[in-house]
Amino acid sequence: MPSTLDGLNIPIQRHTLANGMRVIFSQDNAVPVVAVYIVYGVGARDEERGRTGFAHLFEHMMFQGSRNAPKGAHFKLVESNGGFLNGSTHPDYTDYFEVLPSNKLALGLWLEADRMRALAINTENLDNQRDAVKQERRLSFDNQAYATAVVERWPQLAFDNWQNSHSLIGSFEDLDAATVDDVARFFRTHYAPNNAVLVVSGDIRIPEAKELVEAYFGDIPPQPRPAPPDLTEPPRTEPRFETYPDRLAKVPAVAIGYPGPPRRSADFNALVMLDLLLTGGESSRFHQNLVKGNKSVIQYAANLGWPFSGPADYKDPGIYGIYLLYNPAFTGEQMVAQAEEEIAKVWRDGVGAAELERARTHLRSSRIQELQSSRARASLLGRFELLDGNPDLINTELDGFLAVTAEQIQAATKRYCDPGKRTALNILPAAPQEAQEG
Amino acid sequence: MDLTRPPQTPALPVYKLPPVLETKLDNGLAVLLIQDHRFPMVTARLGFQAGSKYDPPSLPGLSESTATLLSEGTWNRTARQIAEEVNGIGGSISASSSADLLVLGGNALSEYLPKLINLMADVARNASFPEDEVELHKQNRTQELLSQRSDASFLADEKFTELLFAPHPYSRQDPTLESIAALDRLALAGFRDRSLAPSNAVLVLLGALPPPQEALDIVRAEFGSWQAREAPAPPPAEFPEPQRAIVLVNRPGSVQADIRIGRLGVPRHHPDYFPLLVGNSILGGGTSSRLFMNIRERQGFAYDVHSAAQPLQDSGTFAVVTQVRNEVLAEALEALLAEMRQIGSHPVSADELEATANYLSGVFVIRLETQDGLAAQVAAVRLMGLPLAYLENYTTRVRAVTREEIRAAAARYVDPERAAVVVVGDASKIAAQLESIGKVTVEEAK
Repeated sequence: MPSTLDGLNIPIQRHTLANGMRVIFSQDNAVPVVAVYIVYGVGARDEERGRTGFAHLFEHMMFQGSRNAPKGAHFKLVESNGGFLNGSTHPDYTDYFEVLPSNKLALGLWLEADRMRALAINTENLDNQRDAVKQERRLSFDNQAYATAVVERWPQLAFDNWQNSHSLIGSFEDLDAATVDDVARFFRTHYAPNNAVLVVSGDIRIPEAKELVEAYFGDIPPQPRPAPPDLTEPPRTEPRFETYPDRLAKVPAVAIGYPGPPRRSADFNALVMLDLLLTGGESSRFHQNLVKGNKSVIQYAANLGWPFSGPADYKDPGIYGIYLLYNPAFTGEQMVAQAEEEIAKVWRDGVGAAELERARTHLRSSRIQELQSSRARASLLGRFELLDGNPDLINTELDGFLAVTAEQIQAATKRYCDPGKRTALNILPAAPQEAQEG
Repeated sequence: MDLTRPPQTPALPVYKLPPVLETKLDNGLAVLLIQDHRFPMVTARLGFQAGSKYDPPSLPGLSESTATLLSEGTWNRTARQIAEEVNGIGGSISASSSADLLVLGGNALSEYLPKLINLMADVARNASFPEDEVELHKQNRTQELLSQRSDASFLADEKFTELLFAPHPYSRQDPTLESIAALDRLALAGFRDRSLAPSNAVLVLLGALPPPQEALDIVRAEFGSWQAREAPAPPPAEFPEPQRAIVLVNRPGSVQADIRIGRLGVPRHHPDYFPLLVGNSILGGGTSSRLFMNIRERQGFAYDVHSAAQPLQDSGTFAVVTQVRNEVLAEALEALLAEMRQIGSHPVSADELEATANYLSGVFVIRLETQDGLAAQVAAVRLMGLPLAYLENYTTRVRAVTREEIRAAAARYVDPERAAVVVVGDASKIAAQLESIGKVTVEEAK
């Protein structure tokens, strides 16, 4: 049967260990590469007041050594065996990966299991990583144009519930207040096998891989799961507009957002298609009408969950966010009006058949493109299992997007992209003395 | 099973490049076809010897602007038509320019290969640089440049490249506000006519292709009638002698200091290339490198610290790159310079060498997993004038490097005695610390 992925089918085998850890195997023996990907169901939105930045601090702690792999060994073993690795923190999850030559699969699994079983949590490691996080903050936020506005101020303006709006990178005060006991408790609670999904994809043989996974992870004890945090947002009743002076920016930018639909709802699929019509490729409406037509937008980005997520990991409550770097001959208010005129044209005038077909082809092609690397396949499978309980979405998700009709896009656009519920953050270049103290 | 020790594993199977069919059209266009049927996509790279080093001195950025504007209109299609047709085949077409090369890249669902080749040929041969598109590009590139100039690391790279290469054209790879203002259709069309010639180009086609004859017929139909022309010679490969210079680019308000220390390196075909590549990786190539372990992990001076040995067609660069807190600048510089001296005066350990050779070999193969990764490597190797066997022999060459070769290469290219030092930061906070290593020239950020 021809599928939307042009005959492509990513093989999936699911397996659950006795301790509750979910495992997914996906075999492709074309290139001698294997990806080990582990995602934990804990992110910045799980943090408590006074403990901001813990999810991110933890991502750092995970590289500080564990019982049998001392400090530095994680990097050293992966790199000296021809691989690379990283981790990243998100609002709803934290993930880690090793990409290795496929003969080194056991090494990747051993390293992940050793730190899940017995991470080295002590004062020295904590102090050292607190400093690293602070330095990362100086480098990636305090010294970069737009970064503080987008990553810290934007969530505060777009959300009202503290769980959703607080800083992902954390405050220096909270980081300084963190004790070894706090960190140990966070680890025990969230870095448990029953809160993790492990994916092994690439050049593997499944019986052998399964045996290794059982041997390394099988006896790590599960932990009671805490009640999930209440992320509910109060309903929006009026638009918000704020101006943010940025002493490092030289060109103005505006972020525009609307409260988005529930993940995997029909409206979620429709907004994914709307986003493609507005910003997918150079034939998109923003490119043709704002960059070219009005000559007002210089660069644009948009996504369900912008700036932290896209459709693969957007979780409600979330924002459909649009970011426009714009020509200083225009004002932020004018840019909001221009973007909203493009949005209004969708629900008012509809979507042509040829345009919709182009968006579908674009989507199909981008997904096939993405599936080429073992690591990208592993990361999609892991997040679909964690967030949807359904890794097969890697093969079927597209069907839902491609089935969306022009009428459904119109209706969802009108329902969700409501100017009455809009948040806008206008980031303007500022002289150093006008800058906010951060 | 012993869980207390890292597992022992079998040896890695060797990497074999998929078969490459290489041929030349009568007009001189080199064509390489590589079959890869894992994914229903095709990836193309059309590369030209037409990078920024061919820019006239009065118009830096001309190669880059030509690349950007190629797909903004041809004699046959408007920019909008190109965009819609490209989107309609599930594809993308975009060109970019580096110091040596201008590369037009494209991809599409494999069923649309003929259309992709048709679009790429139209863009490469018939770009018309419409007046309104040129004006819009100038307007937006001006804003983008202003934005780039607000970035400390952009300013550091710019000053560093200038110190190393001036007056060779490698010293200016970005446009200036003046050169953007002076750009016009005539200059763009001139660059197209001089440099975008078939004898000056390599076409790599990779993916789920039809049988070779059929694929070649598609290429011939679109590129066969392209007129052969003489392409311009590159600028003479003459570079200044390295010398110690310390430049502080003043950027008031910076909360940290952005540092570059380094000098000229070597191109890929140079006998010192592989020793420098491996030595660079030991010094600052990854998260177990000497710089990372010392500057970040042990001393906590920086979040990011690395070194890079970047080959160019006729030369190369070696640079140590980091950003440190203002108050530790002097200590951090001392530590960086000490590491740079050490690797040129004492052989690396056998363990370091083995681990690093493994690392470079492994990630090299991992990068070839995707069509884009493989096409980029094949195109780069051919355009740099290297044999395709370079790709298959890469891991062997890396593993053949000796400890003494690394020390000797580091003494020649890493030792800081004659290195350029660039620091971008708030002069009022860091100038005094920088003077601890020598005489400093202070310039204002532009």
